[in-house]
Amino acid sequence: MSLIREIKLVSRRRDWRGRSRTPRSAEQWAPVREPREFPTSWARTRPAKVVREGVQRGVLRPLVWSQTKPTVYGSDRLSGVDGPVIVISNHASHLDTPLILNALPARLSRRTAVGAAADYFFDARWRASLTALVFNAFPIERAGGAKRQKMLAPKLLESGWSVLLFPEGTRSQDGWMKAFRRGAAQLSCQHNVPVVPMAIRGAYGAMPRGRNWPRPGRPRIAIHIGHPLSPKQGETVPAFSGRLSQAVTQLWSEEDLGWWGAMRAAEQGTLQPTTGPQASSWRRVWESTRPLPDKSAKNPVWRR
Amino acid sequence: MSRPGFVLEVDERTPPLLVHAGESFRLEQFPLGTRVVYPPDSLPGIRDVDGAIADALLNPLGRKPLPELLHAGMKLTIAFDDLSIPLPPMQSPDIRSRIIEAVLELAAAAGVDDVELVAANALHRRMTPAEIKHIVGDRVFASFFPEHLRNHDAEDRANLLHLGKTKHDEDVEINRRAAESDLIVYVNVNLAAMSGGSKSVAVGLASYKSLRHHHNVHTLRNSRSFNDPPNSAMHHSYDRMQAVLNEHVQIFTVETTVNNDTFPKNLGFLNKREWEWSLKDQASYVAAKRANDLAPAKLRRKIWHNTRAPYGVTGVHAGDPALVHEKTLANIHRQQLTEVNGQSDIAVLGIPYICPYNVNSIMNPILVMCFGLGYLFNMYRNKPIVREGGALIMYHPMPQEFHPVHHPSYIDFFDEVLSETTDPATIEAKYEKQFAEDEWYRHLYRNSYAYHGVHPFYMWYWGAHAMEHLGDVICVGADRKVATRMGFRTASSLADALEMASDTVGRSPSLTYLHTPPMRLADVR
Repeated sequence: MSLIREIKLVSRRRDWRGRSRTPRSAEQWAPVREPREFPTSWARTRPAKVVREGVQRGVLRPLVWSQTKPTVYGSDRLSGVDGPVIVISNHASHLDTPLILNALPARLSRRTAVGAAADYFFDARWRASLTALVFNAFPIERAGGAKRQKMLAPKLLESGWSVLLFPEGTRSQDGWMKAFRRGAAQLSCQHNVPVVPMAIRGAYGAMPRGRNWPRPGRPRIAIHIGHPLSPKQGETVPAFSGRLSQAVTQLWSEEDLGWWGAMRAAEQGTLQPTTGPQASSWRRVWESTRPLPDKSAKNPVWRR
Repeated sequence: MSRPGFVLEVDERTPPLLVHAGESFRLEQFPLGTRVVYPPDSLPGIRDVDGAIADALLNPLGRKPLPELLHAGMKLTIAFDDLSIPLPPMQSPDIRSRIIEAVLELAAAAGVDDVELVAANALHRRMTPAEIKHIVGDRVFASFFPEHLRNHDAEDRANLLHLGKTKHDEDVEINRRAAESDLIVYVNVNLAAMSGGSKSVAVGLASYKSLRHHHNVHTLRNSRSFNDPPNSAMHHSYDRMQAVLNEHVQIFTVETTVNNDTFPKNLGFLNKREWEWSLKDQASYVAAKRANDLAPAKLRRKIWHNTRAPYGVTGVHAGDPALVHEKTLANIHRQQLTEVNGQSDIAVLGIPYICPYNVNSIMNPILVMCFGLGYLFNMYRNKPIVREGGALIMYHPMPQEFHPVHHPSYIDFFDEVLSETTDPATIEAKYEKQFAEDEWYRHLYRNSYAYHGVHPFYMWYWGAHAMEHLGDVICVGADRKVATRMGFRTASSLADALEMASDTVGRSPSLTYLHTPPMRLADVR
């Protein structure tokens, strides 16, 4: 058999990377792959920073802002904050990261590394390289142990980098929030770094799971930035995590109730849960994709 | 933790699968729905092998610790398995050498002077000094060879001792030195469930007079299978002989089991499941396949037979043969047992380049039959992988090629016996005695490196159960003349073979491919 025929035979039913899909009957015996450590330190070098700045400000921002209509509220709450901080937010869309990075003041976003799912963004070398370069991303294991987060995130904080984490662990299936994992709170408690809570509304409606381009019609997206929060003396990780979750919920409600209304509701314990209505999945999606009202005409004085 | 063995069902995702075919291998695209039996992943080897050996010798099962059995003035015989296992031979140091050294350390400490080492090769060919050295290690070889380290000679009447008969009137005759020893330490390596236990001494150190009682057509047809000792008439015979041996001599057996690391790293893709092949594995496959196909036959054979398996040791147990063998079987099952749901119409086998009887030699057509229809067909528990009257498809070029030094009686068996009949019972009745008692074969067995004159008969009997069970045997890529002489049919491809088999099993047969090596034992439910 000629060499070419042999190569054709060996590559049959494999993709261009030489990988074969696991036969269905073998799926339960598929080996649990130990994730390989993808080096990301190069993405924090000066040349990479320059490229990233150019891509984020020159390409991503114009692209996202041209396809959607983002409004940022609460930037003033970050005046005087230079980092390092841990930025947290609800997560419903691939738009979230570029929205947050562009909503943060440049002094912070330039020094922010993004925790990204290792199994999604770091499964192939080309995707890992691109993600690391454009978003300054570092891999986070979603299943089991958060080994890399433990290894990398503290090092990043120690070396003066801020870190963006999505405490839900993954994008929302239906636009509503899930319970927070405690990684961000733990990191904050251990390294005494403040946490900046953020809430994003409308991103799911603009580009939900399964879409790779925003819906037409420039849907409105609201990005609410909260005051940095630090763990109090003696506050436990679960308690602090609960407080962070409450802060994001309050920011989420600011879109509906306004700053004062959300604060009063929080004080009174009447904030609407951000987990959505207890209803069938279509109704939950229906509600979460309801377009945000265009408030630009009202423009209350306390909003910026 | 190692993954268990499993049965793959070929679907549209399944890449071509590896099939061994003598001193070559190929990728074959099996039809959708084909079942493929994969053995469990290789178990992790014991890290401290010497520690495990010491522990086994000092804390044996059903025997006093070995140091208590050794004393000055005693006769100690250390017998060990020959080169027929493991396959391929183990990378140095062979586990047997480590055990023998540990036993000799204890013997030296106890002041034992009279020590003999005997290779338990039964009717197999004598091992060359280099082969013995590989098994026992340099230190033992230098200290004992050739005066006190020898091959067993099953035709040396002066050095055989008849110990009695079993209740089934079977002769028990073994090596005189071993029979007259105060203690036999038997050092074994187990690769298949058929080896070890009562077989070790009763077969390894026996004579033709003793062996003919279990190595015959009747016994082998009633061993279903001989890899399932409780259901093997052959093993029942071994056990009866062991009972006689126990009355005369004390046997302290040391059994070991190895994992499924059959091929070295440079051939690592042969140990892997095909859909898990990395680009490197695929490149290795293409490179190895091309190099192998282009290499001159002599060089190719040399390279294959110089392959040494990086086996890890999965168990070391010592003491009473029966108690030790229970542990050994459990270890083998842990490594090899794969549950298979039901029989199929056709079984497919890839016959590799090596079997127990052609280490450093040629796998002649009779050995191909023996390995396919004997060994691999019988790697089952409960019932064969293929239904009665089903077909067997095996891959091997099966050239008419024999090693003139190692297999002289095979040449005559092929030319004179198989040209008359292929029926095992007729062959046994008509020709066995003549070959077994032939003086020239006897001479070659004793003085050259030839298998005993009767050995090809035994190889043919190994396949007796399969021959009776199967409706058709088709050899893919085999020499037509040779296969026809053996009573088989040939096909140039799997598609042709399936077409031919349709006469026997119909147009929509179920198909099971036994992915071997590494070894696996199918537990067919």
